[in-house]
Amino acid sequence: MLPNANDKTERYAKLSFLGEGQFATVYKARDTVTNQIVAVKKIKKGSREDARDGINRTALREIKILQELQHENIIGLVDVFGQLSNVSLVFDFMDTDLEVIIKDNKIILTQANIKAYAIMTLKGLEYLHLNWILHRDLKPNNLLVNSDGILKIGDFGLAKSFGSPNRIYTHHVVTRWYRSPELLFGARQYGTGVDMWAVGCILAELMLRVPFMPGDSDLDQLTRIFSTLGTPTEAEWPHLSKLHDYLQFRNFPGTPLDNIFTAAGNDLIHLMQRLFAMNPLRRVSCREALSMPYFANKPAPTVGPKLPMPSAILAAKEGANPQTGDTKPALKRKLVETTVRGNGLAQKKRLQF
Amino acid sequence: MASRQMTNDHLRLSWHDTQMMATLSPQTVMDYFCRKSNPFYDHMCNNETVRMQRLGPEHLHNMIGLEYILLHVAEPILYVIRKQHRHNPSEATPIADYYIIGGTVYKAPDLANVINSRILNTVVNLQSAFEEASSYARYHPNKGYTWDFSSNKVFSDRSKSDKKDANSAKDENSGTLFQKQRVDMLLAELLRKFPPPIPPMLQNLQQPPPAGDDLNTARNASEMNNATGPLDIKTEGVDMKPPPEKKSK
Repeated sequence: MLPNANDKTERYAKLSFLGEGQFATVYKARDTVTNQIVAVKKIKKGSREDARDGINRTALREIKILQELQHENIIGLVDVFGQLSNVSLVFDFMDTDLEVIIKDNKIILTQANIKAYAIMTLKGLEYLHLNWILHRDLKPNNLLVNSDGILKIGDFGLAKSFGSPNRIYTHHVVTRWYRSPELLFGARQYGTGVDMWAVGCILAELMLRVPFMPGDSDLDQLTRIFSTLGTPTEAEWPHLSKLHDYLQFRNFPGTPLDNIFTAAGNDLIHLMQRLFAMNPLRRVSCREALSMPYFANKPAPTVGPKLPMPSAILAAKEGANPQTGDTKPALKRKLVETTVRGNGLAQKKRLQF
Repeated sequence: MASRQMTNDHLRLSWHDTQMMATLSPQTVMDYFCRKSNPFYDHMCNNETVRMQRLGPEHLHNMIGLEYILLHVAEPILYVIRKQHRHNPSEATPIADYYIIGGTVYKAPDLANVINSRILNTVVNLQSAFEEASSYARYHPNKGYTWDFSSNKVFSDRSKSDKKDANSAKDENSGTLFQKQRVDMLLAELLRKFPPPIPPMLQNLQQPPPAGDDLNTARNASEMNNATGPLDIKTEGVDMKPPPEKKSK
């Protein structure tokens, strides 16, 4: 054991820079005690207004939730350390994320691959929901994948406990493209349906290799949803017109999902229809989704190690230095875009390898 | 069983799309074949996955599973498309072939279907030949089976003419003395084994007269008995030899 191993700042030896977001900088590091490769997320100092106690609220939320969770498909919080208001979170190291895999045109996502990713996402999410936690920011960028092909749900910066019947939540959650219609209509009370809608959007993106409904604004997002899936009626979704930001839309008939997802079987189309139910109370839950015929039918999901990895990761693995575990060339996450929330607050910047 | 039935159904099918028929070329033929309305196209194949994911067809070689490839082109009329299961980039097992002639898609039958069809054709033709031949066969107790090709008329007409011939040639068909004797002898044998039941009237006559009857009734009975006389039935003796068999000339 190294003499300074107890000093947390020196326990984790930096290997390479991974990326930078609005709230944090992420490094690849080696735990000098366990020799394990980890990801260290160093939280940037927030202003006093942003965090009156000196610690970023996002970081607090992540620490609070993740230290109580342990599941194969949930990112593991290995350690937390800090000096004064500098907080660093130590996570399991994940080689890539679903956004990178989707955007890599050298990768073919077979039906078996898609099924494997869907199962792992739903299993992780089921565990969260059973523990009364809403993730509220599910998107391909937050579904992390390691070299063993195991998918883990990450980034709990917007996650929140739910279950209190009277509690009012903010509707400015979830990246717009993955946001459910009740959130877009300004619902102040919502449940697991917001995460299930996002799962549907991710599943659609895995099949099409492009975002399913990429709206430019909240209004455009609703228009895209209704033109694709059909405008909901009061009979279909009772009390729809009573939602805070409700707007009357023209009656779109919608497009049959089997005309959009042409290579999907009837079992997958049925799952998609349940995930994209307009009425959140009719939307399928994780447990119901996992027991649907799609997951029992052939083809069987691809086993973890056989799942595709981005070519850059594979090339980097081949050129890895066995001494440091570092990869040449180092993979850097680039800032892609900064989206602005409806209420004027800046969202976290999306990172891309 | 169901798959065999479906295969046979596909052999009776053809498909075309009038909108795209005119623009067929080696570049567009796969898009034409991969239309949703084409019953021969399995939309769960790798081609559709690649199309849906907006990837190039070059990715097909790296996939495992069902795929369609353009096998042969004879512009502008004929295109042959093969359905196959790919195991690895260099190995694929053919499943079925489809040919597009003038924009219409047909399923090419496999060897089993071709042989099955040929055998079935042969059997049907043989059966009709035998039926045709059997309609010319004639049987006569005197001559045995003979062929009559004199009239080439329809079977129904032939049956009518046969009836006329039977009436006109009664003399020719009347049996020989030997046949008559033989038949008489057989009938006598049958009568001996199975004597006919005596009518009730005769039964009363054969019984002894009751005590109270007068002579007249007895006389009447004896007269009646004489009138009818005893039945003269010729019987074949036990040691009697059967008549010699007729020798064929």
